[in-house]
Amino acid sequence: MTSDKTSRTSHTAAQATVRVNANVPAGPTAAIVLHGMWRRGEGKFSIIVLGLWLIVAFVSLFWTPQPLLATDGYHVWATPSAAHWLGTDGTGADVLSWLMAGSRTNLLIVVLTVLFAAAFGLLLVAAMVARNGTLAGASVVVVDALISIPTVLLALILAVPLGASVTVIVVACGFGYGLNLARVARPAALLAARSSYVEAALASGASGWWTFVRHIVPNTLPVLLVQLSLSAGTAVLAESGLTYLGIGVPSGVPSWGHSLATSVKFINVYPLTVLWPGLIVTVVVVALNVFGDVLRDAVDPMVNAELRDGAAGADCDGGTLSDPLRAARPSHTVGQRTAVSVRGTADTDVAGRRSA
Amino acid sequence: MSVEIRGLNVAIGGKTIVRDVDLNVGDGERVGLVGSSGSGKSMISRSIMGLLPANAHVSGSIRVGDRQVVGMRDAELADLRGRYMGMVFQNPAASLNPVTTVARQIALPLRLHYDLTKTERLDRVRAMIAKVGLPDDVLGKYPHQLSGGQQQRVGIATALITSPRFIIADEPTTALDSIVQRQIVDLLVSLVDDAGASMLFITHDFAVLAHATTRCYVLDGGRIADSGDTAALLDHPSTTQTDRLVSAARTLSLVESGEA
Repeated sequence: MTSDKTSRTSHTAAQATVRVNANVPAGPTAAIVLHGMWRRGEGKFSIIVLGLWLIVAFVSLFWTPQPLLATDGYHVWATPSAAHWLGTDGTGADVLSWLMAGSRTNLLIVVLTVLFAAAFGLLLVAAMVARNGTLAGASVVVVDALISIPTVLLALILAVPLGASVTVIVVACGFGYGLNLARVARPAALLAARSSYVEAALASGASGWWTFVRHIVPNTLPVLLVQLSLSAGTAVLAESGLTYLGIGVPSGVPSWGHSLATSVKFINVYPLTVLWPGLIVTVVVVALNVFGDVLRDAVDPMVNAELRDGAAGADCDGGTLSDPLRAARPSHTVGQRTAVSVRGTADTDVAGRRSA
Repeated sequence: MSVEIRGLNVAIGGKTIVRDVDLNVGDGERVGLVGSSGSGKSMISRSIMGLLPANAHVSGSIRVGDRQVVGMRDAELADLRGRYMGMVFQNPAASLNPVTTVARQIALPLRLHYDLTKTERLDRVRAMIAKVGLPDDVLGKYPHQLSGGQQQRVGIATALITSPRFIIADEPTTALDSIVQRQIVDLLVSLVDDAGASMLFITHDFAVLAHATTRCYVLDGGRIADSGDTAALLDHPSTTQTDRLVSAARTLSLVESGEA
């Protein structure tokens, strides 16, 4: 009864068996994604910048060139020298030490803000795509109404009871970016929520919440990644802005915004002390924005063919499955890449698309 | 498991789509539900599964086994779905989650309803994909890496993995070419018979219907226009609606046999 199909499938099985010993670069999904990002110039840039940020933040826990509270009263507003690589500020404190320590605060703010925004935003998305029409309709109106509250205004209000603190930045930004995330992710999430595969999961006995976590969120991931990385970049800018306004990081706590705020008044006289934190903020924000873009392409199997082949083995239900499956993973990406290099550039597009 | 529908009415947004439908599926019986597009076939199947949109209004009675489905709480319905009732969908490419591997897809009803270890689950999934005639290496693949026929086999495996007592096949062959259609219907019929389950087979294709069912209902404009033994109904259509559908099907099957 299934002669045609059987012969076809057994053919596929035979091909797979032949390919068992093919030399496929194995590795977990994360490594494949990272490799996909590294292949692009802007990907390299963002990985290096963000990697440096992590390293510097970690090192600053144990070591900075000068202690933070050490001031050199004879060398205030000093230009870069062997003793002070990036110079000193108005109190004679070492600029590099404060920027290194500040990277820690900024990292904390960015991570907390992104987590807050993701949790809050996804909760809103869940309500907006609910099967319950009343809840979905009401939540859309609520999000549209709340999104009109400016983040800065919210931060100013929060600063009344809390004073200048990291909490103000995290809550105000997380709230604002969460609303943005919900609005941007809603169309993609709605498409997934009304899809046949969600209906099929419901028909298998899944609850609404299960389908949201296991089916809707994974299918909305590209939008979420880009939006959250943009939020991360904006959080760095917001930290500088809010600290400058006096409602961000409290005085005495190092942060890039703090370094900017304390020296910006003297920009005409001592431009270098403003340049360093400004440069760092700019480079990091660009890196974060680019990171999201490159990450989205790297996690998309349509763009990153390596991922599709690699993930087939890595993303199964349970470890028992992974090994035989990884062994049976087809290796045509490698073959196609070879074909591309032999045939030359004319075929690159065709082969690339076929592998995608 | 028997299904008994009495006086079913379904309205969506004030528009009545299913009117006063009475329908029986006996224990271990394979019953067909035919009708042209928009006649309300899928609404009936979704009423049984409790998967109608939130703004749908349902009245009447649907008994699955000894339980009344109309007005049932969501949690109870979810327990019924996948465990006692399985569903095979029309478009296999769209009804499989694009970011989930075949193994996870098929194991879903087991995960939701049974407390099994990963190994036990995997064993059952392996046994099931062998039953539906898929090679072992599809387990780690994603839906887009399979052919349409293979995707529908995955859909059938998912619906049948928990050995439900009642299967709804909602136009499972519509998106497939005629040769694969035949294979899928044969597979579905043999698996359902082996399990001793009952099946409601929804289609607009009489050729498939004759093959898959013994008795059938003809639906027209939301009402049951005709019902009876499938073979008899095909040979001697008693109503104009059935006659119209049957003659359309004849023309189609002639074309099909000409191609084959």
